[in-house]
Amino acid sequence: MNILELQNLKKYFATQKAVDDISLQIPKGSIFGLLGPNGAGKTTLIRMITGIFYPDAGQILLNGKKFDPENDVRNIGYMPEERGLYKKMKIGEQALYLAQLKGLSRTEAMKKIQDWFVRFDMQSWWNKKVEDLSKGMGQKLQFVITVLHEPELIILDEPFSGLDPVNANLIKDEIYRLAQNGTTIIFSTHRMEQVEEICNQIVLVNKGKKILDGTVESVKQDFKENLFSIQLEEIPTTIVNPFFELVGTHKNELIVKINQGHKANDVISHFINQGSSIISFKEILPSLNDIFIKLVEGTPSARQFQKVED
Amino acid sequence: MNKILLIIQREYLTRVRKKTFIIGTVLFPLLYLGLIFGTGYIAEKNQPDLHIGLIDYSGLFTQERINKVNLGDSLNKINLISTDIEQFKLHYAENGFNGYLEIPATIDWKGKLDSFNMNSNKTYGIGAKVPIENKLNRIWTDIKNDSLGIDDAKKEILSSQINLKILNVNNQSANAGIATVIGYVCGFLMYFILLLYGSQVMMGVTEEKTSRIAEVVVSSVKPFQLMLGKIIGIAMVALTQFMLWIAFIFIVYNVGKNTGHAGGNMTAMVGQIQSVFTSVNVPLVLGTFIFYLLGGFFFYSSLYAAIGSAINEDMREAQSLSFPITMLVIFSIALMTPAISNPGSPLAVWASIVPFSSPIVMMARIPFGVPTTVPWWQLGLSMALLIAGFICTTWFAAKIYKTGILMYGKKPSWKEMIKWAFRK
Repeated sequence: MNILELQNLKKYFATQKAVDDISLQIPKGSIFGLLGPNGAGKTTLIRMITGIFYPDAGQILLNGKKFDPENDVRNIGYMPEERGLYKKMKIGEQALYLAQLKGLSRTEAMKKIQDWFVRFDMQSWWNKKVEDLSKGMGQKLQFVITVLHEPELIILDEPFSGLDPVNANLIKDEIYRLAQNGTTIIFSTHRMEQVEEICNQIVLVNKGKKILDGTVESVKQDFKENLFSIQLEEIPTTIVNPFFELVGTHKNELIVKINQGHKANDVISHFINQGSSIISFKEILPSLNDIFIKLVEGTPSARQFQKVED
Repeated sequence: MNKILLIIQREYLTRVRKKTFIIGTVLFPLLYLGLIFGTGYIAEKNQPDLHIGLIDYSGLFTQERINKVNLGDSLNKINLISTDIEQFKLHYAENGFNGYLEIPATIDWKGKLDSFNMNSNKTYGIGAKVPIENKLNRIWTDIKNDSLGIDDAKKEILSSQINLKILNVNNQSANAGIATVIGYVCGFLMYFILLLYGSQVMMGVTEEKTSRIAEVVVSSVKPFQLMLGKIIGIAMVALTQFMLWIAFIFIVYNVGKNTGHAGGNMTAMVGQIQSVFTSVNVPLVLGTFIFYLLGGFFFYSSLYAAIGSAINEDMREAQSLSFPITMLVIFSIALMTPAISNPGSPLAVWASIVPFSSPIVMMARIPFGVPTTVPWWQLGLSMALLIAGFICTTWFAAKIYKTGILMYGKKPSWKEMIKWAFRK
């Protein structure tokens, strides 16, 4: 069951095709990575999903029904990349206000805020103002405000930036817990190691178009280059064989690329036959970072303005 | 709808609870009263009081006549000097005199008079001269009356004068003097409220944009709701402040009326308020003031909101972009002065009907009387156009606001903003 389905979504601005025909499905309960270089159109895409922008063309389906910003905002929690809170407003009142704007009743909101403040050890913050908080504390508050109304779909834009490892872990654990309880999380970032760690599924957008879509595993498989790492007790002086090519050596580790039509077993038996003793043998899968750079490489680092013709 | 209420509530409460609001509300009338009483007190303290010696060679200025005028006004005492004249001329300052003057023996009560010199060792202003002059003229009149044989009964007859008072036959209680004052007060109050609270709307919007809270909020509510909530919330703050001032005036009036004897300024003020009540239709002025306050506020503040959404952190951008709007308000005040001096002129009529200037100019005209000076059709048309006007500006502003609030980077020009407004 897909919680969110985008069908041929388009949004053109005066000088940019910000989102140019993107379709994707996000299964319920998944942690979904929305990746892309700066200016790829991620924020515009998110703003359409949160109802801030109307798409020029295409459809958004939420739970199989046409997305209706008026009523569906209740089911969405959005934490923008640039954090925003009223600096002069007391933290408790602010959380209460923003929760009520999402459609919670006052008593309901109050109860949930208290639960979250206890969970994140923030009880003493109630009467403080946002300007009294450190950046990391503000981040925590922003996260609480995003998830407070228990939305089905949470969109987090760079949620860990500016957080120390302890607080980053705290929020990471909350993300897992929410996902386990059936909440879907869209996670937008360009920190690939976090994506690899957290996300089940990813989409890569560049220049307003989707260029990659799949589970983290399948994407890695798709981009693997048949590279293997072999650790030997002693490296033989000459390595000549038809099964693989040597890509590099590092101490007693060989990096090899297996030639077309051959298998890992051929490589292992080659070394066994030679009398070398093998310590380890494993496949090298590309990191998402490598894939990202490979795919996005060649794109000018800043997106150029273009003429838009409808 | 419920969400707009929440926004209004937040905007209202955060502002009303601020110390600056309370201080401003209390301080404004106090400063105003301080200004009136303070200047009155200073003026009283600084009344000219010169002590003059009078050397009379003509024998007309008798001690008796001088005593009579000195009795009438103890300030600016005149003393007749008849002995040791040369000695007095040299030492008048040491004896507590500010100066002296000599009346020549040749003075002729029937003829024309040249000006006299008052000898003094200091330079005095015109204000100091006048009371002495008046006293001397009173003596001079006495001298002439006595010489002509005019007794008190005849003097009474001679002193009667014609006074002119303009009476509006359609409105017997109208009083142009008080209407002018009320007109100015209404117009300027409107001007201050529009500018002060308009810029509050602008800064509030900019604050939401630069602190990036706008993006969080517009993921919950429509940008239009956020803008409208802010404008209405701040309008309520302005209205609260105005109501508090009105309440303050009523309290002063009632306290003053009941204590009565409090004296001087207090009774004078109660008397003034009383005369306002009798000559001006107070409920009508208050009612229309609230209407024009809200209408004018919606008209201008939505434009200020649009500008607030377009600018970034730099306050100089705010100044240059809001200049045309501020000019409209200042222009309205410029139109108000001729409108008050002739509230029935075509300029006054049209300036009070056109939406941008109507809140200020109409409020300046209304104290002169409805429907005598301002016919009902003018008031109705002006109100209808103001409503239509603020619906237009709000619609226009909402379009700019929607784009501007999420747009960062370069400051847009007016041209670009208008383009945003007319985009589908």
